[in-house]
Amino acid sequence: MPKMTMVQALNLALRQEMEQDDRVVVLGEDVGRDGGVFRVTDGLIDRFGEDRVLDTPLAESAIAGMSIGMAVHGLRPVCEIQFSGFSYLNFHQIECHASRLRWRSRGRFTVPMVLRTPYGGGVRALEHHSESREAFYAHMPGLKMVIPSGPRNARALLVSAIRDPDPVIFFEPKAVYRAFREEVPEKEETLPIGRSELVREGRHVTLITYGAMVRPTLEAAAQLSEKDGIEAEVIDLLTLAPLDDTLFTASARKTGRVVVVHEAPRSYGPGAEIVARLVEKAFYHLEAPVRRPTGYDLIFPLFSREQAYLPNAARIARAVKETLAVEA
Amino acid sequence: MPTKTYLQAINEALRQEMERDPDVFIMGEDVGPFGGCFGVTKGLYEQFGEKRVKDTPITESAIIGAATGAAAAGLRPVCEIMFVDFIGVALDQLFNQAAKMRYMFGGKAKIPMVLRTPQGAGIGAAAQHSQSLEAWFAHVPGLKVAMPATPYDAKGLLITAIRDDNPVVFLEHKLLYGLEGDVPDEPYTVPFGKAQVHREGTDVTIVATAKMLHTSLEAADVLAKDGMSAEVIDPRTLVPFDTDTIVESVKKTHGLVVVHEAVKHAGFGAEIAAQVAELAFDYLDGPIVRVAAPFTPVPFSPPLEQAYIPGVDDVVTAVKKIRA
Repeated sequence: MPKMTMVQALNLALRQEMEQDDRVVVLGEDVGRDGGVFRVTDGLIDRFGEDRVLDTPLAESAIAGMSIGMAVHGLRPVCEIQFSGFSYLNFHQIECHASRLRWRSRGRFTVPMVLRTPYGGGVRALEHHSESREAFYAHMPGLKMVIPSGPRNARALLVSAIRDPDPVIFFEPKAVYRAFREEVPEKEETLPIGRSELVREGRHVTLITYGAMVRPTLEAAAQLSEKDGIEAEVIDLLTLAPLDDTLFTASARKTGRVVVVHEAPRSYGPGAEIVARLVEKAFYHLEAPVRRPTGYDLIFPLFSREQAYLPNAARIARAVKETLAVEA
Repeated sequence: MPTKTYLQAINEALRQEMERDPDVFIMGEDVGPFGGCFGVTKGLYEQFGEKRVKDTPITESAIIGAATGAAAAGLRPVCEIMFVDFIGVALDQLFNQAAKMRYMFGGKAKIPMVLRTPQGAGIGAAAQHSQSLEAWFAHVPGLKVAMPATPYDAKGLLITAIRDDNPVVFLEHKLLYGLEGDVPDEPYTVPFGKAQVHREGTDVTIVATAKMLHTSLEAADVLAKDGMSAEVIDPRTLVPFDTDTIVESVKKTHGLVVVHEAVKHAGFGAEIAAQVAELAFDYLDGPIVRVAAPFTPVPFSPPLEQAYIPGVDDVVTAVKKIRA
């Protein structure tokens, strides 16, 4: 099996879906001749031509709006917004149209589009080039909100997103784009949207995370096991909406202690929803308050402070120890 | 104390602040001679003229962009977005410009602007004119978020918002515009980050904002008949948020129900539940329950809309569930 980066795996997903379904089109800023600012769409224009790989003006609202029109009329657009921080410009199109055309037309129209966009920090870019605002999309009824964590699940989830009959927001952790390689089968592979995954078994504490934070969380789990004999269970959510709370609730019932990790600001962030579900559905099993090591309630800092802002293995391990120190 | 409606209270706050400070001005769609879609800015154009009450084109992005620029240059704009649902077209101006400028310029730029906008369901205005979107604004560092539930708070919080040197999102509930209450004639402020306990109780804490405060107070009356004493708290501002008052209440009542009109998934109730579960964990003797809208657009059909909005029965049932 070939080893690929997330960028290559996403490219594979796009290429194969475009090969097997000529309704699939790609559009966005610099996705054609330039192959995308992060090279995710590299080579697609040479293979599929300008009719199926469209370079657009710098107009996020038009990119999203055009994709909605294409989707309603039978195509399967996959549009790219260059950085998720630019996607506020297309919010209205996604919120007022993409997410609710099916509902508004009583099911007569569906919007089978994917909006791909890189999110998150770790690449020394400031502010809206680094922030994580998945909570906005997760709070919008009618959308699916997917965040892969590695090359293999990114490829499989993107294929599922393209085949989904409804709009899917696909956040790609740019810190993971070229961070490591994984074996990715050439043969088609999909993963169901709306299902989380157990990525490490443990019995003392449950760590819930997604996207770029999966790696530092696993790192923390490995350190805790090696140095302190603490066995942490790690759950990768993969989808924020619809949120699969079955797995993490079951895990919390087993371990009684939970830590939620994300790089988005803490207040009103995705972690709050997870804790709220836990205290509703697993309350009598919880033995300690749920800690949330997350990004701070600050605008994403300039690069010199970036590493202090992002949760890392040490901060996650500290939160785990605080949680375990609470007497049941 | 004179009785005024929520709408009159907001209008009075605008008028008095414009009289006090010549830097305060208003802009938005139809806010001038027409007096605003709901009539909130009525009479201000006549009193202050077209330089200080500006009708804009139908372009939300330009309204917030111009307000941000005016604020950076030293004025104190109060702009109106006709329905919160239209904010999607202007979020870049709000999230990437207004919210961040002070931080980006190391404190050298101040953005003393207020964005007023009505939200909420219940008038059969369907999916694009009925939402409650406070959770979005509250998740953006750099913005303050106020949600008045009473005429008194509407006036006092708006005056505080106008005098604040940072961007404030001021969310009015359109179904409360006609609500009457005591409102002093003279200007006064209500501090941000200070919750109000509207009803004291011992058996359960109910946290609710805007119109849901009134639903929750009614529910508390129903519960009282069943011998249950509910404490009802309105946080009044989501950012800054008065965690202490709620945590102290939960330490006393040992139970929490959070009520909001926005969809439940990833709504602000989740943040309150998470904070209380962290800070008052050992005091809780049952699950925290959230009463909120289902995860769908707001329906147009009146019966469906009524089913969508959390009601008194929903709050009562939630309390009984955790007190069972």
